[in-house]
Order: sequence, then structure tokens, then C-alpha cells
Amino acid sequence: MNRFNHLPTLKVDSASKIAFVYKGKKYYGAKGDTIATALFANGIRIFSRSLKYHRPRGLYSLDGECSNTCMEVDGIPNVRCENTLLKDGMVIKEQNVKGSAQNDMMGFIDKLDWMMPAGFYYNTMHKPAKIWPIAMKQIRKAAGLGTLSPDFDMPGRYDEIYPTADVVIIGGGPAGMTAAIEAGKKGLRVILMESRPWLGGCFEYRSREYQNRQTLNERAHQLANEVNALDNIRVFTHTSAVGVYNNNLVTGFQIGQEEDPFTERYLEIRATSIVVAAGCIERPLIFDHNERPGVMQAACALRLAKTYGILPGKKAVFSVGHDFGLEAAIELHDLGLPIACIADIREDGQDPFLMKRIQAKNIPFHKGWVANTTHGQKEVKAVTLSGIDGLITKKVNCDLLVASAGMTPVTGHITVNQGKLCYDSHTNFFLPKEMPEKMHAAGTLLGLTDPVSIETSGKLAGLKAAFDCENCSIKDIGDAKKELEALPGPARGSKLVTAPVQGRKSFICFDEDTTIKNIKQAIDKGFDVPELIKRFTSAGTGPGQGGIPGHNLPLYVAKYQALQDISIKPTTVRPPLVPTGISTYAGTNHKMFKITPMDDMQRKDGGIFRNIGVWQRARYFSSDLSCKKEIENVRSNVGMLDGSTLGKFRIHGPDALKALQRVYVSDMSKVKEGRIKYSAMCNDDGCVIDDGVVVKQGENDYYFTTSTGRAGQTVEWIRYHTRYDGWDFSLVNLTDSMGVINLSGPNARKVLEKVVDIDVSNEAFGFSEYKAFKIQDTIPVKAMRLGFVGELSYELHVPSSYMKAVWLMLKDAGQEFNIQNFGVEAQNVLRMEKCHIILGQESEQRTNLLDVGLGFLWDRSKTDTKTVGTVALRQAESDQSRFRLVGFEMENNGRAPRDGSLIVDTKVRGYVCTARDSFSMNKAVGMALVEAPLADIGTRLEIFEDECGDERIYGKVVKMPFYDPSGQRMKM
Amino acid sequence: MALTITCPICGKRNGYEFRYGGEEKGPRPDEAGLTPEAWCDYVHMNNCVAGVQEEWWFHKDGCGSWFKIHRDTTTNLEIEQTEATE
Repeated sequence: MNRFNHLPTLKVDSASKIAFVYKGKKYYGAKGDTIATALFANGIRIFSRSLKYHRPRGLYSLDGECSNTCMEVDGIPNVRCENTLLKDGMVIKEQNVKGSAQNDMMGFIDKLDWMMPAGFYYNTMHKPAKIWPIAMKQIRKAAGLGTLSPDFDMPGRYDEIYPTADVVIIGGGPAGMTAAIEAGKKGLRVILMESRPWLGGCFEYRSREYQNRQTLNERAHQLANEVNALDNIRVFTHTSAVGVYNNNLVTGFQIGQEEDPFTERYLEIRATSIVVAAGCIERPLIFDHNERPGVMQAACALRLAKTYGILPGKKAVFSVGHDFGLEAAIELHDLGLPIACIADIREDGQDPFLMKRIQAKNIPFHKGWVANTTHGQKEVKAVTLSGIDGLITKKVNCDLLVASAGMTPVTGHITVNQGKLCYDSHTNFFLPKEMPEKMHAAGTLLGLTDPVSIETSGKLAGLKAAFDCENCSIKDIGDAKKELEALPGPARGSKLVTAPVQGRKSFICFDEDTTIKNIKQAIDKGFDVPELIKRFTSAGTGPGQGGIPGHNLPLYVAKYQALQDISIKPTTVRPPLVPTGISTYAGTNHKMFKITPMDDMQRKDGGIFRNIGVWQRARYFSSDLSCKKEIENVRSNVGMLDGSTLGKFRIHGPDALKALQRVYVSDMSKVKEGRIKYSAMCNDDGCVIDDGVVVKQGENDYYFTTSTGRAGQTVEWIRYHTRYDGWDFSLVNLTDSMGVINLSGPNARKVLEKVVDIDVSNEAFGFSEYKAFKIQDTIPVKAMRLGFVGELSYELHVPSSYMKAVWLMLKDAGQEFNIQNFGVEAQNVLRMEKCHIILGQESEQRTNLLDVGLGFLWDRSKTDTKTVGTVALRQAESDQSRFRLVGFEMENNGRAPRDGSLIVDTKVRGYVCTARDSFSMNKAVGMALVEAPLADIGTRLEIFEDECGDERIYGKVVKMPFYDPSGQRMKM
Repeated sequence: MALTITCPICGKRNGYEFRYGGEEKGPRPDEAGLTPEAWCDYVHMNNCVAGVQEEWWFHKDGCGSWFKIHRDTTTNLEIEQTEATE
């Protein structure tokens, strides 16, 4: 097809060639084309088939208001081809067709519409109930648009930004640009968002005179230049605002240009004031077969020619209800489109200037006429026009029917921000009645059509926004208001929704194939308000987000019920106002986790890492996931574990002890210098949330550890529970600045004494003692003798920057004993054999301190400290219905059950917390939380594993701990 | 998040930075003579006001302090203290 190449309004480079593949064949488009316009330029008229009836569908609007041009592009289904720029090498396929869009084998369904009245899903296929599983399968096969492969990986880069601005302007048309310039001149930081890839809005593609022989197109460029000249206006083009929330938060998404580092990005803008100048879309005219390919809206036909250089047809009929339609007809006629006739649904009120031009060009003009039916098998071949009353008809041959009943203001940004709309019988619009705080509307969405009025309304809104930012005087606003009042006000809008037809094939919603007849059926069933009718008929619930039926539905419903104008209510609009990919919301998938100072050294030693909480930790050091060697090495020799993930804190200040008393169940005043105190924290329900050790470093100066998972919340927790007291203490989270090495095993002392200068004999540094010292007068170490794994064990707390040095020293010193790494899994088995609990494994949300056998930590005498959890513990003390933590071994040398398996008899009685085949004990042992009656020693436990069927395995409750009950080994 | 919260130390910040700490219920009651019911009410029962409520927030991605604000639960907007107590 030949394209115009000389128009000043063109946005395509007609001479360029961009290759793409459509249905397996190679085609060419021009630079600047959208996918839809490139296909149209190549003569493609049928783009898709409709959801329900498989009717052929073509180009209708150009802004993605319906699903007509949704296609699969490079494997991504439901791409809105009208809004997506063509890129080199794109592979485009039709969707929702069996065969092709041209010849769809499912097309016969269109004839079966009588079987599918409104709500037929609700009324059929559930009686008899047996039929439903079969029907469901068939419906699922037929329903939905596009298919996505389950292993599909979304290509592209998705980003997110969170800018702030004084004024956000939604819509880069004349009103939006003027508002931006006004606010920008005041020195405010302005963000201007425009859905199309360029500024200009409804001026951009029009050649009508603005003032002094300047065309609207030239005026748009002039305004855009003024906008771009102001550094404090940040322009986002190809960016749709999809949500506005209270506190003036605006969300949107931007489609990246070729040179941008992102495919799409999410914007979340916090603004002081917002100007909505989103303009208007066209209100579809409804008649029989009103969506047959060849029918399109006025702006679509005009923009095809003027923006993309494509003449939209060979012979056109216009059926419009506004002056813009007449303007489009004149412009297209001047570009060489033969026009058979123009039917204007208005009896009077046309712009006399436009009328004179139409007469001068000898275009037949019918006032009070409307398109009634289109004819043609798949595409429009002819149209029957009729008077508004339907009494007289006339058939005209044509291949293009430009149909548009009126305009629809884009008010979604106002209503999602709780603004209220009210029906206005002059413009026939839903106009904003109550604007949300610090939000202002401007431009054509107020019904203005005069170019100067549009700009002046933008100026007024820009000044009001500046006023919100305390940057404009009331007088300036008053002057702008007067200026606007002197200009032409909102134009009269047409009311007509449908031609005089029965409506069996008159579509009010294209996405969901909802006809006028369906709407009548829903009303006749008793659904009387648009909101309910929308749900029952699904009109407006498709990908177009109500762009096609949003305005017509309430108007038609009111008319069919003969309601007063005032009671016409629009349906609710919700974000996202424009369909947005989940990928855009998801943003970049950051693989985020923390690593310890020992990360790379452990990797070099063959550590197998797993994500555990927010950390990546070495879980195993061999492919033997039972960790036999690691465990045996710790039990008989010496091993090293990186425990840096432990929560580590310092609390100091005059009231530090009071704060500790508040959150720890033990009496923390008994913490002695040089000794370690093990204790636990509960929540207000007495449920145990954390355990760890506390050491005293000096007067009112303590160092304490928490479990790995609690490290993030401990500061918050302690400050929360002391928030009324006004205590003076400082709390420092040292988790990341300190590392921890756990040196364990019978030979641990022999290794340590080679590295440190202090006496580490059992007499000088006994079990449960704490020492702070320096290695080689340089490296400060806090050393604790603990026994988590049940062997002689030293926990060395070292500044992170020295961790590698100390680690290497120990490794070096341990070489003669063949020191080995052990990982988190080995530690888990070792401590389980010793029945040392890990909170979260041997406890869950409902488990209290007493359930897990830590009741001995609780000091009942300290009642004046208001310790968190003690009130609840006192109440729970005598409760026999609670779970108890027990140790068990498996019967007949059986294997260990899986963690989390259930303890059952006739019902669930508890569950297995941790169980392993113990190499140290030579049998399978574990810990379980069971109901109190099952907690006695010797009780047989029936264990149910996932997917075990009728098979059960059995264990028996035994005494804890399993390994070294007297605790000699950790004290040696 | 549309919500903004004014931290007494860091000023007005995005709601993402904070963690909610529940309604203002006053300090922990004395344990002497406390009935289980009264305790349970203190810990678990909320007024769930539809309107202005006094509540606790923690500036977790900021200064790490706990403080109270007044918020209108119907609009999710923070209300200035002086306005709320009037």
C-alpha cells in the first residue's frame, strides 16, 4: 500500500522498512508503526476473533480500548497491538481462532447466540450435577483469550522508580501541556505523563486552524517545545497512569523506547497536587453488526491517515454525533478518501463553519440519520442508514464506516481517587462534581472543544496546582478563571446510544461479546443498576477495562428504564486503569540474600549452600546429605562451623537491665560477669519466640545473642515492650558487624590453645564461662564455652573484618588433627541427639515456654518487671490440653520419619519436629510435640507420613537427651 | 503505598518504611489481681475504629523508634495531632 509521506503530522518514516513475521509470512512496516497499523498497511483487516461468538474483529480504535487487536507477539499472549510499537523481527500470531482469523472454524458459534442469553453460564450446565465436570472442561477450553505455556519465561527487563514531584499532570495534550508550563514557570517540579509515545493529545493529528493561520498540529509542537524547554518538567511519554490513590500517589507504567535500559517500568509518584487532563475517548455508536471489520471510530480513521499515512478505506460512510466527526470527514476527504455520505445523528447544532465546508465539497449530508446495519460476510461491503426513528432506510455501498456516537471523558483517574461524578445533561458526560483534595481537572474531559478554552482550562488547573504547592496567588487564579469564562464553554453532547434496532447483533461490549439484547435480558431479569448488569452480562470486564461500554452502558440502562437523567450512575472504575503486565508490577527479580564473611572460603571447601531465612548458609559439605562424616568428626575429633548468622546485640545504658528483665523470662540481675546466662523470650501469649545467651560486659552493659530468624526484629521487640517506660538504654544490632565461629569436638581445646594466648584449660575456662581477650594483641574475641552440639565447644565472636584471619588460624592450627568443616545440617543432627531445641523447629506459633520444657528458665519471683509472657504462662501452667515436647526412638530399628509427620491414633495427636537416623546412637531418634497424655515415657507413638496410605510406622517415647545424658562431654 | 507517616525524628516518609504496632491501649496493666479476661482483652481486643484512631508505628527502615500517630482509618490519611484532639 502506498503511504502518505509528506504530511506534517506523520509519526512514521514511510521510506523505512521494518521486517516482521505474521502467521509465518514476512511483512514490512515503517519505523514508528504500531503492530496494528503495520498490519493494516499490509491489507490485514481481520485481526482476531471475538471471545464468545468468534466474530471477525478489526481495527476499531487506536488506543487499545477493546481486545480486537490483542495478539500473541513473540510468545506473549494478549499484547495490545494498537499500543505496541513494531520492532524488527517480531513474530505475530492470531489468537482465539481455530484455523485463522480469516477462516475460523469456530465461526459457526455466532449463529448459536440464541442458546446463550445473558447469564447462561449461571443458568445451565449445573443440572444435573454430574454434567458439570464435563461441561467445565469444555468451557475452559473455549474461554479466555490467548494461551501461555506453563514454562514461559517473560523476556525483557522490568524496572521500577519512585519519583516525587510537586505537580503530576496526567495527559500530555494541550491542556496538560499548558498546565505543566504554568506550574513549571513557577519553578515547581512537574511530572507530565502521556500514554502515547509523543506529546500533543487531540491537537497532534489535526490540521484545523488554531489561531492566526497556525494549525492545531503546529500549536501542539509549539507547546511541546515550551514544555521541553523547562528543565523542571520531567516528561514521561508512552506512560499510562493506571492508578491514583489518596495522599496523591500516582502509579503508572512506562513502555521503554529502543534506547531505554528497560522494557517496561513501574512508576510510583508521590505528588503534592495532581492535574487530570486525560482527554476523551470516543463513545461507540451501537447498531447491528457495529463491530464488523471496516467499522471504526472517527479518530482512528483520521489518525490512520494523518499519523501513520494510511488511507483507511476506498469509500467511506460517516455516522457520527459530534463536530469532530465532521472535521475528520473533511480532512479525510481532502486527503483523497471518497465519502459516500455523512449521517449526523444530531438534527441541529452542527458547527456552521464545518457545514459550509461540507457543502462546498458536495458531500451528501443527512441530519438526524444513523447507521442501522452493516452488510458483508466478514468485512463491511455496505451499510444501511436510517432515520433516528427507523422509519426510512437507505443502503449505501462502502468499505469503511466511520461511526461514533459522541465523546467519553476519561475520568478514571478522578474516580479511583474517590472523586464523585455527576451526569450532566448538556455535555451528556459524567462530569466531576466533587474533586478529591489537591486534584484538578482540565481539558476536553470537561466537555470543552474550543482549542483556546482547552488550553485556558489547563492554565487554570496548573495555577490551582501551584496554589496547592503554596506557589500561586488567589488573584492569578481568579484572573485565569475570568479568562476561561469569557471563552466558549462545554459543547452540547449527543445522547443517542443505539440506532433503532432490536439489538441481537448490536454489541455494547466487544471484549465480552455483550449485545444490547443481553442488557435487556439482564434488566428484565431484575438487574436494575449498571453495576449489577455489568456483572451479570460481563459487559466491560474485559481487557479494554470498560473503554467501549463504560459510558454507553449506564446511558442505555437509564433509557431502557426511562429513568431521569439525574439518576444515571456510571459503573465503578478500578486500578489498573490500563491493562498492565504482572511482570511490570513485579519489577526486576532481585535474588537477595545475605552472605556471611566466610562465604567464599566455605564455597572453596566444597560447601553446598542453601537459602535459610534471609541468609545463604553452607548446609552440607559433601554429597552425603546425611552428613555422616561431618557428624562423626565432631563427635570424635574437631570441626568448625560458621555461625555468623546468629543475632548479636549490645545493650547498654542506665536502664539496660530493666529492659532485659522485661523481655527475658529469667532473672537477668543474676547474670554474673564471666558467666553465660541462657534464657528465652516469650510473646504476650507466653509462646516462646526466641532463645539465646546473655553475657555481662560491664556495669549496665550486656552482649546477647538471638536466634538467626529473630535478628531482624529484636530491636523492634525490645523497644516496643518498653515504649511507655521512657527508659534510658541504647541497643545496637551487631549481627552483621560480628561473625561467629563454632569450634567443637573433643580436640577443640588442642586447636584453640595453639591460637590464643590465654589459658583455655578446663579449670581456667570452664563450661558456661565467658572470656573477652585479644589474639596477638590485635583481634578482639568474645569467647563462650557452650555445648549446643553436645561436645567440648567454643563459640568465638569476632569482628567480621577479622573473621577470615581467625578462621585461617584455626584451620592452620587444626591441620595436625585433621580439622573439618561441618554445616548446618550436621549441627542440626548433633544438637537433636542432645535434645537442644531450635525454636521454629521444636516449636510453632502456639508453643509456649512450658511446652518445650524450658519452664526452668522462668523466674516466677520477678513480678514487678512486667515480663512479657508471664501472665499468660501462669494461666497456661495448669492446662493439661497443651502439647509437650518428647523424645522418641523408632521401634525395631526402623528408619526416622520425615520431619512434620503426624502423630495419630483415631485423630491427630501431635507431630514430629525433627527426627534423624542417628549415627551416634545407632538408631533413629527424634523429638515430637504431642498431647500431654502421650508424653509419658514408654508410650507408643503411631506416626503417619505424607502419602503413606494405610502404612504406619511406630516409635516410643524415651528420656531426653539421647546422647550423653549426664553432659560430661561438653564439660570436659 | 499511599500512606505516609510522620516520624518524629525523620519527618514525613513513605508508609513502606514503617511497621504497624497496633492501637494505643495504654501501658501494660499491673499483674497483681489481673484476671485472665482483662489480660486477654488488653492483648487481643481492638476497638477497630472507623474514623480517627491513635496508633503505634515503628520506623523499621529508618531511625528505629516507636511513636504514635493519629490516622483516619476510613481514608488512610494521617491526621495532625492538634486536629485530632480537638
